[in-house]
Amino acid sequence: MPLRDLLLLIGGPQGSGMETSGQILTSALARRGYGVLSDREYYSNIVGRHSYVHMRISSYTIPRSLTYPVHMAGFIDAESVFTHTFDIASGGWLIYDAGTDPIKITRVPSMEPQVRDRLLEKYRSHGIGESIKDVVEYLEKEKGVNVVPLSFKLILNTLRQKYNMTLGQAQRFRSTIIFAAMAALLGLDPDSVNYGIERRFRGREKVIEMNKFLASKLIEDIRGDYGTPLALEPSSIEIERLLIATGNDMVGMGKIVGGLRFQSYYPITPAADESTFLESHESLVIDGEKKGNILVFQTEDEIAAIASAIGAGLAGARSATATSGPGFSLMVEALGWAGMNESPVVVTYYQRGGPSTGQPTRGSQSDLLFTMFASHGEFPRIVLASGDPEEAFYDAINAMNYAERYQVPVIHLLDKFLANSTFTVPLPDWGRIRIDRGKTLFEADGDFKRFDKSEPISPRPVIGSGAITWYTGDEHDEYGHITEDPINRLEMYEKRMKKLEIADREIPEEERAKLYGNGKDFLLLGWGFVKGTALDALEALEERGLKGAYLHLRMFIPYPSRMVREILESYGVGRVIAVEHNIMAQASLATTMNTGFKVGKYILKYTGRPIYLMELVDAVQRIVEGGEDKVVLTYGE
Amino acid sequence: MASSVARYKTDVWSDWCPGCGDFGIVAAMQKAFAELDLDPAQTVIVSGIGCSSKTPHYIHANGVHTLHGRAIPFATGIKLANPRLTVIVNGGDGDLLGIGAGHFVAVGRRNVDITVILHNNQVYGLTKGQASPTLRRWEQVKSLPRPNIQDAVNPIALAIASGYTFVARGYSLWVDHLKELIKAAIRHKGTALIDVLQPCVTYNNLYTADFYKGRLYKLEEEPGWDPIVHEPSIDEIDEKVARAWEKALEWGQRIPVGVFYVNPHVETYEERIAKLNPLYQEKPIALQEIEEEGAPAISREDFMKFFSKYIVEVDRR
Repeated sequence: MPLRDLLLLIGGPQGSGMETSGQILTSALARRGYGVLSDREYYSNIVGRHSYVHMRISSYTIPRSLTYPVHMAGFIDAESVFTHTFDIASGGWLIYDAGTDPIKITRVPSMEPQVRDRLLEKYRSHGIGESIKDVVEYLEKEKGVNVVPLSFKLILNTLRQKYNMTLGQAQRFRSTIIFAAMAALLGLDPDSVNYGIERRFRGREKVIEMNKFLASKLIEDIRGDYGTPLALEPSSIEIERLLIATGNDMVGMGKIVGGLRFQSYYPITPAADESTFLESHESLVIDGEKKGNILVFQTEDEIAAIASAIGAGLAGARSATATSGPGFSLMVEALGWAGMNESPVVVTYYQRGGPSTGQPTRGSQSDLLFTMFASHGEFPRIVLASGDPEEAFYDAINAMNYAERYQVPVIHLLDKFLANSTFTVPLPDWGRIRIDRGKTLFEADGDFKRFDKSEPISPRPVIGSGAITWYTGDEHDEYGHITEDPINRLEMYEKRMKKLEIADREIPEEERAKLYGNGKDFLLLGWGFVKGTALDALEALEERGLKGAYLHLRMFIPYPSRMVREILESYGVGRVIAVEHNIMAQASLATTMNTGFKVGKYILKYTGRPIYLMELVDAVQRIVEGGEDKVVLTYGE
Repeated sequence: MASSVARYKTDVWSDWCPGCGDFGIVAAMQKAFAELDLDPAQTVIVSGIGCSSKTPHYIHANGVHTLHGRAIPFATGIKLANPRLTVIVNGGDGDLLGIGAGHFVAVGRRNVDITVILHNNQVYGLTKGQASPTLRRWEQVKSLPRPNIQDAVNPIALAIASGYTFVARGYSLWVDHLKELIKAAIRHKGTALIDVLQPCVTYNNLYTADFYKGRLYKLEEEPGWDPIVHEPSIDEIDEKVARAWEKALEWGQRIPVGVFYVNPHVETYEERIAKLNPLYQEKPIALQEIEEEGAPAISREDFMKFFSKYIVEVDRR
């Protein structure tokens, strides 16, 4: 029976092309209308450490969560087979390099000692030996895993002979072996695979030819031996076009549509890809029509990044900077300057594991409270968070709108999971896109009361408009000159903070938090990348007789207090479960601060790996049916 | 066409100590602006934190008084967003060469067309006289409990090493001389530094007006002094840099002021951007139209064309 939903893993050393394999498969699948989601897990390393792509494919919906075990795994090296021994489903499929059979787990130098020790202990308890051969035998005999052993050496030799290449050059085609073998078992037609290859290697004819040659040969051979056991049913997703993009790309696209003109950055994982994306799209010449240009400015540090972005904003350019935790730590003084000077600036903040360097390439949601309170003194700011690629796109636009409308710094929070995952996404809905520049003035004159107290939000002539304006981080009068007068202090302080009350009135609460489902057994309270997994968990739990709902928090300042309080109180303390990627349940603390409602149940994960569907479902059951208060999740290598 | 100095004055009271060198610098700036007939609305004074960084409030032009050490990146953002603006940075020695030294170097690498006026009095005045990065080793100004044991940074040498294309030194009490340097720096296309020696009458009892009297001499009065790179040949640049460097190291009985080095042949950061992206020159990014009646300038059709690489047309067969 054809499959509707399928999970797979592609593993290998960093730099061996797993991402390429994943991209080609994603393109081929999208071409036939399937929905695809893939998370990439990798070390802070350029070449050699264990890295993998975890992918979900669906014929009936656009996938929004990942789970284990997987139906198919394709591994380039021995370390991947060891690391993911227990991630493959009974009756699943394993594609691996038979040449690695003799390798023992104790002889994999790149494997971290803790991982090895943990695996060895499991191997001992399952009676598994230490070599790849032993592991594969166990999977085949004990777990009923179907094994496709391939001799990478022989396969690459045929390529070397035909194209007269060195072993080193041929090694690059290990990723071709993986995607071709997977395409074979999935029953993908050759045209879609070729489409995937052409899309990935656009313009590089020789590489395309070699990939097509090797892939078509392998597909034919493997299909001859194994058939198409994982064939998918035709897609029933009603869609004509799909974007294939990462979260970083989606934010970049949103910024471009939203009129960004100045982006500053200092290289940092996992934010830098967004700036690289923008730099590749600096010139907005579309069909010969000049729509403008974006300036991507690589600075000497993150302080200069935010300072220059604020400067560009003063002159009237829509400006932003993109960073992660360590970079934002450097930006906080300037954040306060923007608050004090009522200057628009957007900080796109991709959270990774902290504190300090933490886990640079792993996901986390541990910086929410930091962004809400960063910088000394009190000033208005807006903090919003995206949970999926579509939210990331619209939020990138709205962040710039809010920054200009309310003349405040805006922090747009994302996390590494969203940033680096690859999604198939429906095209944006233009009806939902508005550009709002608030009281920005491009023409004005004379000495201008930039901080006119008659209204909380004053007209803002940009520098160069013809007006003369002053700005200072000191407390200032309406003209922007320093004053320490106590009454002026009080009025200016209140003027600034009142802008937040206006934002709270103007931005509908329904846009700041969203309730999914109406089951009364439990309420999951989450934010960011938790969204997709939580929504799928609701469906899975309903099948198990538990009906719940998910409250997705989108904006933390100004917090949608009235709506959230009402919803939380309708469930009561015992039935609200915070689901977050941190140890403090930070969004639940922000919720308590804003609503007075104290959350008492928690599902938390802080290993740096995403929350998987099966562990969330299990944890909710333990809390709702088993009466536990807190479950800490740990699945995933 | 000159305009009047009064055009560049504000009625904000300067709260500097009587006799402060900052007065001379502001006077020289106002005179220079008048002689260049700068439009105050298209001129921006960007400063950091400290006594000297109050400068923008005393000049009738756009003023941006920023964070300690960060005037240069703020100014860079303003200039790159709208290169038509005349952008001038004022900062102290602690601001530009201590906490902001990284930015001081970085702007030289880019040759952004801004002028940096360094108020150099060897002390942190507003915090009551601590040693700044330009105070020399074993010197002890009056509020130091013990002598300074850090070496000084040489602003002229650092600017040359960082790629500044106009490097000069002035003296705050020689207002007309300083005015000419400021005019030349503003006219210069590229990053310009003017290191301005100024007495701090309250906290610096070593580098006083008396100290400078008789020691300062003008480079332009030296026979044969020519700091300008006329032909952009490696040989000429090397020679001019070497001579400037030699002069930069002079201190003690004879201290040079004037223009040390000018290389007008290096492309500015703005020109580099325009080379990659000609639209940048046609209209400053700050002034480009991004919307019409709230609708984005980029339509859905534009999006599909511009991001076609990311779009897959579903073909179900």
